[in-house]
Amino acid sequence: MTNALLAAVSGGQIIAAGVMLAVVALLILAGFVLFRVVVKKREREEQAIVDKVQTQEELEANYAECVATGNFAGFDDVLESKREHALRERKAEADKDLPPDENVLLEVRHLKMYFPLKKTIGGKVTLALRAVDDVSFKLKAGETLGIVGESGCGKTTMGRSVLKLYQPTGGQIFFEGKDIAAYKPKEMRPLRTQMQIIFQDPYSSLPPRSTVGGILSEPVKVHKIVPKGEIKDYVMQIMEQCGLRDYYYERYPHEFSGGQRQRICIARALSVKPKLVICDEPVSALDVSIQAQIINLLKQLQQELGLTYLFISHDLSVIKHISDKIGVMYLGSMVEFGDKKAIFSHPMHPYTQALFSAVPNPNPDVKMERIVLNGDIPSPADPPKGCKFNTRCPHAMEICKHIAPKYKEYEPGHFVACHCYSQED
Amino acid sequence: MSSEVNAPKAEKKKNRNYLTGKEIRAIVKSNNKVTRALEKKKRRKAKEEEFLTTLKDDKNILEVEDLHTYFFTEQGVVKAVNGVSFEVPQGSTVGVVGESGCGKSVTSMSIMQLLQGPAGQIVSGEIRFKSYDFKLDEKGKPIPIWETDEEGNPVFEEKKDKKGRPVLDKEGKPVLQEKQKRDEYGTLQYEMEEKVFNIAEMPIKEMYRLRGRQIAMIFQEPMTSLNPVFTIGNQLDEVTFLHFPGSTKADAKRRSIEMLNLVGIAMPERVYKSYPHELSGGMRQRVMISMALAGNPRLIIADEPTTALDVTIQAQILDLLRDLKKRINGSILLITHDLGIIAEMADFVVVMYAGRIIERGTASEIFHHPMHPYTIGLQKSKPVMDSDKDTLFNIPGNVPNPIDMPDYCYFRERCSSCKKACFGDYPAMVQVSPTHYVACHLYDENKEGDAK
Repeated sequence: MTNALLAAVSGGQIIAAGVMLAVVALLILAGFVLFRVVVKKREREEQAIVDKVQTQEELEANYAECVATGNFAGFDDVLESKREHALRERKAEADKDLPPDENVLLEVRHLKMYFPLKKTIGGKVTLALRAVDDVSFKLKAGETLGIVGESGCGKTTMGRSVLKLYQPTGGQIFFEGKDIAAYKPKEMRPLRTQMQIIFQDPYSSLPPRSTVGGILSEPVKVHKIVPKGEIKDYVMQIMEQCGLRDYYYERYPHEFSGGQRQRICIARALSVKPKLVICDEPVSALDVSIQAQIINLLKQLQQELGLTYLFISHDLSVIKHISDKIGVMYLGSMVEFGDKKAIFSHPMHPYTQALFSAVPNPNPDVKMERIVLNGDIPSPADPPKGCKFNTRCPHAMEICKHIAPKYKEYEPGHFVACHCYSQED
Repeated sequence: MSSEVNAPKAEKKKNRNYLTGKEIRAIVKSNNKVTRALEKKKRRKAKEEEFLTTLKDDKNILEVEDLHTYFFTEQGVVKAVNGVSFEVPQGSTVGVVGESGCGKSVTSMSIMQLLQGPAGQIVSGEIRFKSYDFKLDEKGKPIPIWETDEEGNPVFEEKKDKKGRPVLDKEGKPVLQEKQKRDEYGTLQYEMEEKVFNIAEMPIKEMYRLRGRQIAMIFQEPMTSLNPVFTIGNQLDEVTFLHFPGSTKADAKRRSIEMLNLVGIAMPERVYKSYPHELSGGMRQRVMISMALAGNPRLIIADEPTTALDVTIQAQILDLLRDLKKRINGSILLITHDLGIIAEMADFVVVMYAGRIIERGTASEIFHHPMHPYTIGLQKSKPVMDSDKDTLFNIPGNVPNPIDMPDYCYFRERCSSCKKACFGDYPAMVQVSPTHYVACHLYDENKEGDAK
């Protein structure tokens, strides 16, 4: 009797639970379908905005009225930023199939490096920190490109993504004509001997437990640069080149001062015979008198070995001393790019002008006319609308707050992105 | 260093560059003996007469004479500051320049007596500072200023006990007393006079009256110098509470916001409520400066105020400092390694190397006629914006090891213009012009002759 009752009760419970489960499953399914419909609709709407403006000319025509009257009261900033983004994507897509420039060692096209800040459950990035946003440049073999900008402007991130230490979000990196942006780490391996990096802080970038000899011979062993028997002689030769005495071979990094450690870092980078060396603020952590030693060494090595440098620094006087070409970055974008002489003799972008005037001059009698920028660099997660520099620019106009200026070549090899200069093609 | 390594093995062992446990114990023992005595001296109760002195020149606000600050470590005594003398004239900016480890920061720490004890100690020397302090009567008590009405008669008020209740006499009437003058923050006013203190002799407790109120310091790293768990307002108000006793919360907030306004912060009310991590580097440094100014100091020590900042922000901060100096009529002791900043800001320059001053003079003397080979080298080794040199001049070698300094010129190994005398004693300071001094044998006998 009791057994039968128990069975009946449990049977009923099972049926009820089954029904409940089915209902819940149905609800979830319905919710998901609804969600997909909403998402699809929103995507279609977004696409419609993008499709509405087909070409640059049409976009210009749409602006013409606003720009001509100077009245941006009814201007839709959100729409504009979407349009601009879509147009840039289109430009990058169009440039994708262009053959790489054969005369240059490194060509970077529309490089983007976004760090996700917020993601949906599905993994879609809703908010990203745009550390590098659409940067393009070319670098010839044997030249030095100096990248300058305030901290947080993305210069280090750019240097590292060129080396594929970060996987870039978009864009192309041509190294000797090959697009390495999509290479997997394993494919990058043989290229690592071609491109090397020198880090900023020589105190934290050397392994404390290996000797100088060990540090320098490891990359030689891994990449099989010279036969096994000749490794020590080869390392000694590299050390001599970098101004390290031969008896340093047995010593540990902690026994050296900052300048000597930086020499070890340079020697390590050079030990695999690279073509391109990325110098990420190599002298910022050093004293003035040691800085000069390291800069001279880098210059001398460049002449001897025909190296190409991508020199990243925030110190304009150092950049001026070492570079052939200079790129000025602000909030992830290149605002000015050109030959050293052109940029220093007549800087065009207001940010470059302000940056140059802010460098203290070691002559007490010369009192420079300063352009002091107000405020700080805005957050790259939420950059200002229009021109990114408009919040601090002394020449900011109404148009700057709404429309991003074009990155245009005004003189041969001198690119600027600013509304102060003609925007017409 | 090189001779040690190239020598045969037997000798190498003798000249090893590490210490045995026995040697370290001996060093620690002798260090303890010295530091214990010095710590005791810092903790003593002293009468004011013990550390009162007079200035050599009344125009100065600070005079440092033959200052020796040592660090007693297990490896030996590090003579971080080894016989430094300079002056800061009232209302001027003095720049101290040198490489890292040359003792610039330790000099400033000695002036504030902020050295980490018991290792760091001021061993000898004098730091004379012209302070503005209470005038004392014969009993050693400050003389109050009494409130007077328009005709000069004293004003009386009811005497109150600790709980704020009026004190009554035997007949039940409130007891009257003379009313002491208070300033706008409710601080009782006393008669003040200028006094000259010898900071090197002052006990730590007596330093409280100078720190913040008379001498303020702006530290290098604004992130580590602000407390991350308190709001900016909280930390700024503390200064007012401390230096203006009797001030209420509302007074303190008013003053804090006034100070934030003074350093050019656009929205002081918002910054007042925010935490340090919400501000950018430049903003934090401004807050640090406003905190230093909150006590109305007469001397501001700025220890690398812009090293951690970008060039554009650096320009803002330097403009601010120059502007503030004019407005509060104070003096600044600016410590930096950047010659450009020194050239822009300073009236007088002090060049330090390995714990000693090697050259000092006015800014134009140092920049147009540098005399010491180190100063010359330092200027040539800095890349300049408006010159097109191909290679930079470099000073070979490194700063010598601070333990066991040699007794000859510290710069000898790196110097390109050595002469015979350089192998003798450490050179004495030579006066080249009324304001220009240099410590180099090149200018010893023949003062302006065979330089270079």
